[in-house]
Parts: sequence; C-alpha cells; structure tokens
Amino acid sequence: MNIDRGGNGQPVLLSGEMYKAISEILSDLASKTRAKTIIFADMNGHPITQRGQTSEINISNMSALAAGDFAATAEMSKMIGEESKFKYIFHEGEKTNIYLSSVSGNFILVVIFDSNIALGMIRIFTKRTIDKLEELLSNAKKDTPTDTKYIDVEFSNYLNKELDKAFDF
Amino acid sequence: MFINYALNEIQFKIVYYGPGLSGKTTNLIYIHNNLDKKLKGDLIKIETKEERTLYFDFMQMELGSIKGKKPKFNLYTVPGQVSYSISRKLILNGADGIVFVADSQKERIDENLETLYDLELNLISIGETLQTFPWVLQYNKRDLPNCSNIEKLQKKLNFHRVPYFTSVASKGIGVVPTLKSIINQVISKLQVPVKN
Repeated sequence: MNIDRGGNGQPVLLSGEMYKAISEILSDLASKTRAKTIIFADMNGHPITQRGQTSEINISNMSALAAGDFAATAEMSKMIGEESKFKYIFHEGEKTNIYLSSVSGNFILVVIFDSNIALGMIRIFTKRTIDKLEELLSNAKKDTPTDTKYIDVEFSNYLNKELDKAFDF
Repeated sequence: MFINYALNEIQFKIVYYGPGLSGKTTNLIYIHNNLDKKLKGDLIKIETKEERTLYFDFMQMELGSIKGKKPKFNLYTVPGQVSYSISRKLILNGADGIVFVADSQKERIDENLETLYDLELNLISIGETLQTFPWVLQYNKRDLPNCSNIEKLQKKLNFHRVPYFTSVASKGIGVVPTLKSIINQVISKLQVPVKN
C-alpha cells in the first residue's frame, strides 16, 4: 500500500490482503473494548473499513468530519508551538464519547463508545491497536500493488453514462 | 484518491473553491437535491449562525458499478471569506480536482482574482500548480444584470485555458455540466493500476 500521501495525484492504494488484516485488527479492538462503532479512514476523509454498529452512523460523513477535526487541531498545535501534530482527540458526550487517534500520521482510527465505558480502557486498547496498525502499514509500504490493468477510455465512457443516469432518474 | 482493491472502490475528492458568496454551497445543494437518492449520502454543512460556510460542506456521491469498480466522489466546499484562509488550505489537502466558482458580477472581479491567487499559493504548498492540477472554472450568477461579459472574465481568470461553464447555480443551470467536466478531468488524469 502506498501510504505516504493521498490525493494530489498520489493515490492511496489498499490491497485486499491489507484490507483483511486491518479489518481483523479492528474486530479485535471492538471485541475487547465493547466499543459501539470503530472506523478506520485516511487523513483525507476517505473511509476504509468499520466495525460494530454502523447502520445508524453515516460512515462517509463521520470520516470526512474526523479528517476535518484532525486538520483543524493540527493547525492549533502549530499555533502553540507543538513540533508534532496532536495524536489523539477526545470528545465527551452525555451518553456517547468519541476517541480519535492518528495512525502513522496518514490514517485515523475513530472509536465511538458508551460513556459508561472507562476512557482509560479505551486508551490502552486503542494504543495497542495503533501499534499493530502502524507495524502493518510500515511493512505495507514495500507491498504496493503492481497490477498493470489501468482505468481506460472505456471506463470513462461508462462513467459518463452512469453520471447521466444519476441525474436523470 | 483512495483505491480499495478488496471492495473495488475508488474514492475521489473534489473541492469547490471560490470567493465568499459566489455559490459554492448552492452548487452542492443543487447536486444533492437532484441526485438519485440511492446514490447520495447526507449533505453536511458546518456553517456560522448566519448560514455562511464556517469550515466546509460535504456530500458523497456514488455511481453504479463500472466495469466492476465502484467510483465514489467526495464533494467539499471551502469557506470563501478571506479570514478562513487556513481552512481552505486544509480542505484542499488530498483533493483530486477543483471547481473554481467565480462570481460573474463586475464588482467581484478582484475578489475572484484574489481567491484564485490564494488557490495557486495553497496548491504550491502541496506541490501542485494551477497549470498542472485538474480544475474547471464556473462563471456563476449569470442571471444578474451587472455581470461582466464572458470574454472579459476569461481574459482575467482563465489564463490556463481550463474548461469553463456559465451557470445560475440557484436554478441549477450549468451545475451538472461543471461537475461532469471535473470528474472527467480527474478520471482522464488517472493512470493508476486497478485490479480486476
């Protein structure tokens, strides 16, 4: 997976094996913490995978907002002279909390959990999960998919037909 | 751009950029209201009490499966006011394409130019330029009586000769052609391997 940079002509590529490995790590975190929902996204706000109750939460929107949250706090950290970006953000609600963590600086782990679950426990298990994910991602840098099949002209033609259909239903 | 081989998903980020009150959010609202509901998520607006964009608006648009791949487009707007320069830069990060929404009114020409320079500076900071990055121009508010003519706007703003569209976003005129154009530009630049 290419995880150095996303967007701006530098796509983030996620192999099937990597997707499976990340999903397994998230499942493990979900079962250990009893978190309601866990989301893994990239820092550009693209959702990657999720675990737990996902039907009530719009995962795409939550990922975009989580990325915006991190981008805003990164600027705040600069303003107060922090040399590195903040790694964790915690939002405390009456019934539900959100604990957001930066993974490798390029990804976000969002843990949504009941407020009766101790934050300390979430922090400990999340930290272990981040270590696992970072190890996985650092190995993945060497494992960028190298298939030779490209998005071609035919794809563009079909895409335009789908676009027409999308607005003419 | 994010490619998930396991799900055959390709996600793109498209950002609507432009001066304050030029109609960026109006573009998104029209797209959201007129898109097949099976293909869209909610429209999120992070705005001030005065209903001006504070941080960004966001919606996701999906398309049906194309040659086994599912493209998804994440559409963002930036806040237009000068004071939100940092927010604009943050939202631009990771963008694959830009729609620059210009206000066609004569008295807004300088603000259009200033915002275009602001865009260029922000692109440079992420290693891109207006010359190389996929973007399109939309001359909005063509229904207002005090519009500059297109030739003049083209001369002032479209020095890179990118595709341009005239629009009245509040009535939906020109909105979808603009979106289609930027999506096509982004796709045509795409030269990345994609698994079957």
